[in-house]
Amino acid sequence: MGLFNSTVLEVAVGIIFIYLLLSILCTSANEWVAAMTRRRGEMLRKGIYQLLGGQPLKEGGQSNEFLKAFYAHPLIASLMHDKRHPAYLAPRTFVAVITDILTGSKPGSVEFDHFEKGGEALPIGNVRTSVLALVQRSNKDLEQAQLATEAWFKDAMDRVNGWYKRRTQLWTIIIALLLTLVANANTINIVKKLGNDPVLRTAVVEEAKVRAQKPRPTISVEYADQDDPTNPTITKNEGNELSQNEMDLLGQILGWHDNVFYDKNGYSWSKQIWLERFIGWLLTILAISLGAPFWFDILNKIINIRFAGKAPEEPKK
Amino acid sequence: MFKRFQIIFMVIVLVATPLSVRADITVSLTKGFVQKNKDRATISTTFNVDHAHKKPNKIGTGSEDGDIHIAGRDSVVFLPMVAEILNGKRENDTFKFLMGLTEGQEVSLTGVWRLWFEHPGSEDQIQKKNSVPIPDNTNPDHIFEFHPITKFGNFDCRDSFLPVADGGKEFRGYSADKAFADYEKRPGTITKTTNGIMITSNQAKYNYVEFDMRLTGKPKEVDDGYIVLANVFNAGSSDEEEPLTEQPRRMIFVKGSPPGDKIATMSKGDSLHVLGIPRVNLNEVFAIANGMSGHDEYAFGGLPYEIIIVALLED
Repeated sequence: MGLFNSTVLEVAVGIIFIYLLLSILCTSANEWVAAMTRRRGEMLRKGIYQLLGGQPLKEGGQSNEFLKAFYAHPLIASLMHDKRHPAYLAPRTFVAVITDILTGSKPGSVEFDHFEKGGEALPIGNVRTSVLALVQRSNKDLEQAQLATEAWFKDAMDRVNGWYKRRTQLWTIIIALLLTLVANANTINIVKKLGNDPVLRTAVVEEAKVRAQKPRPTISVEYADQDDPTNPTITKNEGNELSQNEMDLLGQILGWHDNVFYDKNGYSWSKQIWLERFIGWLLTILAISLGAPFWFDILNKIINIRFAGKAPEEPKK
Repeated sequence: MFKRFQIIFMVIVLVATPLSVRADITVSLTKGFVQKNKDRATISTTFNVDHAHKKPNKIGTGSEDGDIHIAGRDSVVFLPMVAEILNGKRENDTFKFLMGLTEGQEVSLTGVWRLWFEHPGSEDQIQKKNSVPIPDNTNPDHIFEFHPITKFGNFDCRDSFLPVADGGKEFRGYSADKAFADYEKRPGTITKTTNGIMITSNQAKYNYVEFDMRLTGKPKEVDDGYIVLANVFNAGSSDEEEPLTEQPRRMIFVKGSPPGDKIATMSKGDSLHVLGIPRVNLNEVFAIANGMSGHDEYAFGGLPYEIIIVALLED
């Protein structure tokens, strides 16, 4: 018997399909958590605090006066909605506000000396140290000083992006863990169910074929006017919703159908069962963390092998 | 029991393999750079020549492409990079000038910009002023290239955009079906950040490709070249054959080069037999990044790409 007989391939299609559905749920949950926790905005707030926090405006002033002045500035205040921190801040806006605070909102044109003296006039603190270090390399040129300030902000934003990415990855793992445990998405169990139940397996494979025909969850680009190859239009194919059939199948395959701690005879589950569960959950968590686009591609490829021909094309981009 | 073991083994392999083999590299670009160059063929810069080939590559197959490799740093792009002169043997005067330069010497350079994950190495590459290390050899880890160079010092190299040949030998590139099958499926993730755009992919193959292109629109003139959408076919294919790509792809021509002069006279439906090299399509990348709202990262079916046409080939 070869490894790649029909049952094995159908089980593989089934497990990949389940991974895809769970990954889609995980992505949706992650986006929801990001929106609820205002993740991007909060990371930006933290990054700006690192730059501007701990700086009084006058001797004997409060330590965060400069930061408060930054947020009170009309250019920043106009970006806040219901006291929510903006998710993005243009470097030029940052530079404009810093320049304005340092020069005391001087009307008319601003010179390098105004900028430098504004920095020197600040009491000891993070901003004073940074601004004076930046102007030292500016050859007494305001434009260069502002470019250096912009670079200072961009460096901080690179760090913010790193934090954001790591936080998103962490949430992906947390959500994958919760989803796996709540749904009892045990890979080994799923494989057993699909292997032992030909009716269920057939239903899953049929639904996987339907999913593979749907557009990939992506943004696609099209040059609608063939005479203008510089002006593309984009189409979003979110694909982040599960159909009722897919939800029903997940309900049949996943879930806590047995008592968590005891078997039907009232005995505690053996260590072997717990080990198997642990491995099964771990495999599922790892699989979900690979993301929906990855499993979508794998599903398409394996369906092409299994059914000896390419699945119907998604609509032309 | 054995069958169950087979299935579990297969699932473990299925999950473990991608975890172990994914070696994605990210290049981080400023939004301004992408916006400025997305519809340009070339970039002009001042280039520090750190290492250069002592002779052009041989002409044969695969990496024997007749190019001259130069590794260095520049004053515009700020990424690890190499610059390559096409048809090294033909560009004798340029080569002599190159050999006369001292290590680290500055020279003005214009070349076709090319972002491609052919030699990405293992470290992410971030576009940042004064951050590029001095390369150790003629082929450091890089994602950015000037390839081909169109002007080196005072030497105009656009006449190098010809079939790569020496005596009886001619370099032809990979076949279109093989190369485009790979280009169409290159993995790619676009991440929009506050200040820039990150492109993530893994190591690419099939540097040069030979193919027939059939124009699906008229060429659009841009500052330094022409851009045209075209369907792609195997060299010598008949009119009835299906294109090799899902949709027409952008073809980039340099103004003043032999392919550029030719495309300027062509119109929709015309065909060419060409040699090309792929690069990331920053026009699409920019559009995708601009289309993101609420998503900071998006993985999709393929790395957006376009083809730089470096030579017209005989049928």
